[in-house]
Amino acid sequence: MTIDAALQSEIFLTYVKIIGGLLVFAGLAIGMLRVAGKDVSSIMRTYRGWLIMIPIVIGVIFLGRTATIFGVAILAIFGFKEFARATGLYDDWWLTGIVYISIAAIAVVTFVADPRLGTPGWYGLFMALPVYVISAILLVPILRNRAKGQLRQVALAIVGFVYFGWMFSHLGFLTNTANAYGYLLFLILAVEVNDIAAFTFGKLFGKRKLCENISPNKTIAGSLGAIGVSLVMPWLLWFSFPHLQPWHLIMAGLIVGIGGQLGDLVISFIKRDIGIKDMGAVIEGHGGILDRVDSMIFVAPLFFHAGRWFLGLA
Amino acid sequence: MEEWEYHPPPDIDATMVEHLRDFPRQPYMLVYAIRSAAAMLLRGWMRLYHRLEIAGRENLPEHGSFILVCNHTSHLDTLCMIASVPLKKIHRTFPAAAADYFFSSLPRTAVSAILINALPFDRKVKGAQSLSICAELLKNEGNVLIIFPEGTRTTNGEMGRFRSGIGRLVVGTDLAVIPCHLQGGFEAWPKGKLLPRPRKLRLRIGQARRYANLDKSAAAVNEICQDLRDRVAELGRLNA
Repeated sequence: MTIDAALQSEIFLTYVKIIGGLLVFAGLAIGMLRVAGKDVSSIMRTYRGWLIMIPIVIGVIFLGRTATIFGVAILAIFGFKEFARATGLYDDWWLTGIVYISIAAIAVVTFVADPRLGTPGWYGLFMALPVYVISAILLVPILRNRAKGQLRQVALAIVGFVYFGWMFSHLGFLTNTANAYGYLLFLILAVEVNDIAAFTFGKLFGKRKLCENISPNKTIAGSLGAIGVSLVMPWLLWFSFPHLQPWHLIMAGLIVGIGGQLGDLVISFIKRDIGIKDMGAVIEGHGGILDRVDSMIFVAPLFFHAGRWFLGLA
Repeated sequence: MEEWEYHPPPDIDATMVEHLRDFPRQPYMLVYAIRSAAAMLLRGWMRLYHRLEIAGRENLPEHGSFILVCNHTSHLDTLCMIASVPLKKIHRTFPAAAADYFFSSLPRTAVSAILINALPFDRKVKGAQSLSICAELLKNEGNVLIIFPEGTRTTNGEMGRFRSGIGRLVVGTDLAVIPCHLQGGFEAWPKGKLLPRPRKLRLRIGQARRYANLDKSAAAVNEICQDLRDRVAELGRLNA
C-alpha cells in the first residue's frame, strides 16, 4: 500500500467512485426531502459528519500502509480513552498509560516484518501480545501494594485493551495482506451500510424489539433487514476480492451482518450499564469514536481470522 | 455480588472545543505530556534566547497556594513566570488571561488551555465571577495563580495603575501574594510586534505579602493594590 499503488489499484479507485457517488446521492436525497418539506436537521448533522469522516478515511488509506496502521492505532487509543473516561478507569493513570503504550505496541508489531519469515507484520507477536499486556496490567496492583478496588480497575483495563485495542487493531493488520485495498475498503463500506440498513429497516418495518433492555430502538425487522443487505453486499462488491468463492461471500456477509450488530450491541450494553447516552462528542451527529467504530471492533478480527483460516491471508 | 459503580465525568458529551474552554480543566494525560514538554522547551528558550535571570526563587512558598503578581510589559511576562515555578507545579500554575483575547479563537484557545494552562478571566462583564473562580482555585492546596494587576500590557514601558481585582481577591485572607518584577520585557517584545527580540530578561521575585488583618472594605482593597504596586516598583528599582 503506497500512494502509487493506490493510484494504480482498480479496487481503490472504484471504491472512491462508489463512496463518492453514495455521498452525492445521499446529499441529493436529503435535498429532495427538504424540498418536500420534511425536517432534515438531524439527518443533515449526521450527513455533515460523514462529509468530514469519509475524506479522512479515504485519504489515510490513500497515503498507504504506514498511515493506515497509524490511523487505526489513533482510533484505538482515543476509543479506549472514551471507554476509560466513561468507566472511571481514566483516573488510574498507570493502568491507562499501560494500555496506551500497549496499543502503540500493537501498531509497531503490525508495522514491522516478521523476523523469521520476513513477511510484513509480525503476526506471531501480534497474537501473543495480550499475554504480556495482561501480565503487565496485573502487575500494577502488586507493585503498588494495593488491593482495594483493584480487581475492578484491572478488569476494566484488560477489557479495554483486548476489545478496543487488540481486537480493533486487526483492521490495521489487514494492511499486510496482498489484497489490502479490497479487504479494508470492503469492510469499511459493508459495515457502515450494515449499520444504516439496520436503522432504515427498523424505522420502516420495526415492531418487535430485539434487545429492549440494552438498546430500546433496535428491532428484529431492522436486524434481519441488515443481515439481508449484508449478505448481498459481498456479491455487489465481488470485484474487491475476485479470488473468493461464493461460499466465502456468504461467510463475509454473515460476519458483517451479524458481527456488526453484535458490536453495536456490545457498546450499547456498556453504555447502558454505565448510564450514558454517547461515549463522547468527537464527531457532530455521530457521538464518540466508539459510537462510530463499534461494529468494526467486532467484525474486523472475525473477518481477518476467517480469511486467514480459509484463504491463508496475512 | 455487589454492583460496580461507575462515575462517568459530567462533561462526557462535551465536544473538543468545549473541553478546551472548560474551567476548571479535567486532567488529561496527553495534555499534561504536551504541556510538560512545552514547559521544558520554554525554559530552554528563555535561558538561551533571552538569558533569563531569576532572582529570589527562594521566596516561592513550598506548600500551600499562592499568587504571583507582576508588572505587565509583554507576553513574555507570562512565559517568564511559568518558567520561574518548579516544573512539577506546572499543571497547577494558572496565569489569569483575558478571555476576550486568549480565548477568542480556536487556535488561541488551544494554546492558552493546553500549553499555558491559562485561566480565562473575563475583564469586561463578568469580573466578579472570574474572581470567584480564582478564589475557588486558591482554596485547593498547591495551586499557583499568576495575575497581572494592570489588566493589560503597557504601551509606553511605564507601570500602570493596579486594578482592584487582586485586592478584592486577597483582602482578609491568609493567601500569600508574591510581588515580582520583570525587566526587559517591554524592550524585547513591545505590544504590537509579531516576534520577540533577543533582549535580556531579569525577573526578581519578592517576599510574600499577606493581608489577613485587613477588613473587607474599599479602602483596604485600595491599600493592598497600592502596597503591591509599591513592592513591584521597589523590585523594579533593584532590577534596573
